[in-house]
Amino acid sequence: MFIEISDIKKSFGEGESHVEVLKGISFELEKGEFCMLLGPSGSGKSTLLNIIGGIDRPDSGSISIGGERTADMNEKALTRYRRKHLGYIFQMYNLIPNLNIKENVEVGAYLSDDPLDVDDILKTLGLYEHRHKLPNQLSGGQQQRTAIGRAIVKNPDILLCDEPTGALDYNTSKEILKLIETVNQKYGSTVIMVTHNDAIKSMADRVVKLRDGVIRKNELNTAKVAAEDLEW
Amino acid sequence: MRDPLLKRIPREIKSEAGKYTVIFLFMVALIGVASGYFIADASLKAAYDDSFVTYNIEDGFLEFPEKPDSSIIEACEEEDIKLYDNTFKDEPCSDGSTVRLFRIREEVNRVCLLDGSLPSAENEIALDRLYMKSNDLSQGDTIELDGYDFKITGIIALPDYSALYRNVTDFMFDTEKFGVSVVDKAGFDRVGDGYIHYSYSWKYDDPPEEIFGKEAKDRGDELLKALAGKAPLTNFVPTCRNSSIKFAGNDLGHDRIMMLVMLDMLIVIVAFVFAVTTSNTITKEANVIGTLRASGYTKGEMVRHYLAAPVIVLLIASVIGNILGYTLLKKVMADMYLGSYSIVSYKTLWNADAFIDTTVIPLLILLAINIIMLTSKLSLSPLKFIRRDLKRRQRKKAFKLNTKIPIMTRYRLRVLFQNIPGYLTIFVGIFFASVIMLFSQLFEPLLDKFSEDSINSMIAQNTYILKAPVPTEDEDAEKFAAGELRIVRGDFSESVSLYGIASDSDYFHSDIKDDTVEVSSAYADKYHLKAGDSITLTDEYGSEDYTFEISGVYDYPSTLVVFMDIDYFNRTFDLEDEYFSGYFSDRELSDIDEKYIASVVTEDEVTKTSRQLKRSMGNMMSIFVVLGITVIVLVVYLLSKVMIEKNVQSISVTKILGYEPREISGIYIRTTTIVTILSFLLCIPLESAALDALWRGMMMQYPGWLAPDIPLSAYVKTIGMGVVTYLVTTLLLKRKINKIPMDEALKNTE
Repeated sequence: MFIEISDIKKSFGEGESHVEVLKGISFELEKGEFCMLLGPSGSGKSTLLNIIGGIDRPDSGSISIGGERTADMNEKALTRYRRKHLGYIFQMYNLIPNLNIKENVEVGAYLSDDPLDVDDILKTLGLYEHRHKLPNQLSGGQQQRTAIGRAIVKNPDILLCDEPTGALDYNTSKEILKLIETVNQKYGSTVIMVTHNDAIKSMADRVVKLRDGVIRKNELNTAKVAAEDLEW
Repeated sequence: MRDPLLKRIPREIKSEAGKYTVIFLFMVALIGVASGYFIADASLKAAYDDSFVTYNIEDGFLEFPEKPDSSIIEACEEEDIKLYDNTFKDEPCSDGSTVRLFRIREEVNRVCLLDGSLPSAENEIALDRLYMKSNDLSQGDTIELDGYDFKITGIIALPDYSALYRNVTDFMFDTEKFGVSVVDKAGFDRVGDGYIHYSYSWKYDDPPEEIFGKEAKDRGDELLKALAGKAPLTNFVPTCRNSSIKFAGNDLGHDRIMMLVMLDMLIVIVAFVFAVTTSNTITKEANVIGTLRASGYTKGEMVRHYLAAPVIVLLIASVIGNILGYTLLKKVMADMYLGSYSIVSYKTLWNADAFIDTTVIPLLILLAINIIMLTSKLSLSPLKFIRRDLKRRQRKKAFKLNTKIPIMTRYRLRVLFQNIPGYLTIFVGIFFASVIMLFSQLFEPLLDKFSEDSINSMIAQNTYILKAPVPTEDEDAEKFAAGELRIVRGDFSESVSLYGIASDSDYFHSDIKDDTVEVSSAYADKYHLKAGDSITLTDEYGSEDYTFEISGVYDYPSTLVVFMDIDYFNRTFDLEDEYFSGYFSDRELSDIDEKYIASVVTEDEVTKTSRQLKRSMGNMMSIFVVLGITVIVLVVYLLSKVMIEKNVQSISVTKILGYEPREISGIYIRTTTIVTILSFLLCIPLESAALDALWRGMMMQYPGWLAPDIPLSAYVKTIGMGVVTYLVTTLLLKRKINKIPMDEALKNTE
């Protein structure tokens, strides 16, 4: 297995405010698999994504990616791990506001020894003509496409998407989902996407449903639907 | 109901504790130093002014060649004066200095006992405080004078020696080489087999209204004429001409403007730092402000709200600064004056001007700058705040940068362009800090150079200024005539020496054209004079003007002097053809009686000024260094902190993306490093010009001239101290970047 997640537990706060967010999460993913983490607000899906992304540490349990256990890594190694293997897409895009669109993508490319061609990516994402603009001059969808460009330009093994369509309208959301689908299929990146939108689960290979910090359902999607055909 | 927003103010201060603490401490120090200075200055000036009555300072003194009998005293006192015996002896101390011994004065120029007791036995002495300090002497120590031991029982100040001039004609005083003392009668008789100065103080029966005014001078002149036929005199000095008495009074209050300008400049920087940081807070809290404005809070209420914290911090800093000023720092500041002058004991006086200068004016500066910034920033519509759309004009595209430039360099350039106002404030802060630090580094080398120039430009190894024209057999001696006139410029005036030089002089290496003068290079530099110009000088009380045509500038960089042919000198001042008043000689002249010598200008004498100024100004210079360093820390740290805070989200994202701490510091701190170092370098010509103007402006307020030739070493030291201070500051900034959590980027805010 490419990603092995075993018995992850995580809690926040102390005393009366102590909350157990993840209560022993385990599942596995194949390389190139598209996994949807589904659940209502507070189910622990974003916390799990952060732990997979190496920006938070579990209280117990372990994650192994390509045979490397993140629990054994110090801060420096975790940084290297994110640099080499991960691409991140956020709900609010998190572009660097004082860099133009092309430079935002280049910030991702800089991290890779073998990045994809920045101009090609911009053309693929339909951003080439906007490349000299600042993020705040673009629509939400264009900004999210830029964020996708920044994530995929370094050709990451794993693409982590935290509610990537949460701030977008229906049409733009669909456009973004199609792009992520393309990345998954064209570049073979393993995709883990967090969402609370039940309607988009059908585009994934695997759906992991969380509620109250435990996995309620972990199933392979045998009736996969193209992003283009999703309706909600 | 009280405005609930008031509760936010202490929380705002607490949440920005670092920023407010740094600014608060800086302002406490700044206001404390300024307040201490103003209070010390005013209190000492009051003590000095009062000392004329409190200690009954003489209206003048005269000296007889030998002990006058009662008939001479009575004859003198017929001129509506009363004479008081103030006989003294100058005795050599074992360390090479000279101590002037007086008997305890009871009536005129009474002794101010600062500590201990007055001598009551023949082997006891009370010494001047400053001389003791300059020579590391303490109460209870023993001092050897002319081979006799004296135990120091008291520390004193003599009101007629507030500046320790040995002779009133000296260029400068030297507290290490000369001091005054009192002993009892037996002690006085015990020492000295040499020359006794039969000096007598006089007090007018009907004193002139102003002790330093024209009336006092005229009365002095009249008295001299009247006494000339009645008694032989070897010295006659009305108080209005006595540097030992008037010099300290002239100097007190002189630096007030400089201190005021420095205080206000630094408050302007602090006000800008507040403006930039508050502007950043407003950006951070934009949607809250928008909501409050939409709910009915007025712009005025918001302005007052954001103004409150800076004003509170300034007011508390003013209160504490003033308390420190009145207590601890007043003493430090007074000690700077007391390091130069031997002023009588003083009382701390409440000073309304100091309060206005250190509290009211800084508050007005802070309010003015911050109200302008806040009014402008908060004038946007509530909707714009809610949308966090705070730019008045939206840029359609980013500033274009060549894509061949590596991305990291472009990133740094973008950070630079994003923070132009902050970097401009850093530049201005570094400029001010550099000027302050350069000023502190300038003083010592300038004084060393002055010393060197003074020695190199000495006309002769010994310049004898005589009280009366007496002959010498020494062939090395060359006669000259000397006098003094004043340069008057508005309210300011200063003296200039005039030398009448022999036509075929062996000492003065220039042929002065007939009926013209040459001015010293110091004079020419200070007043921008050149050959062909003419100068008008006046006698000391402005009763007669003298105009001279300048035919050349003589290389004499240390003193303001006018050189002319001795015949022209004597004609100009209606003196006899053969008149002269001194000798130049490379050898010591041994055949002139000491009583005819007013003073001898030697190498030791001309370097006195720089030695004394170094001693007097040493403390002040360290304060400038500390202030400069604090300004750098304050400006660079706080503004860099603002830049980092503005980019918290981006820094957090770069961390998540996998950028290493050194790469992130490379983007956000290296930009500041480059700007800071460039600022230091670019400031060199500016600070050089500013300091030149400042120095010239300052020196125009003082007598004499020290040319502002800034040595390279002063720049190197200033930049070195500045860069080291900055590098230490970057450690704090790196720590701040390292502490930014990655989940900052995960918050769903834009």
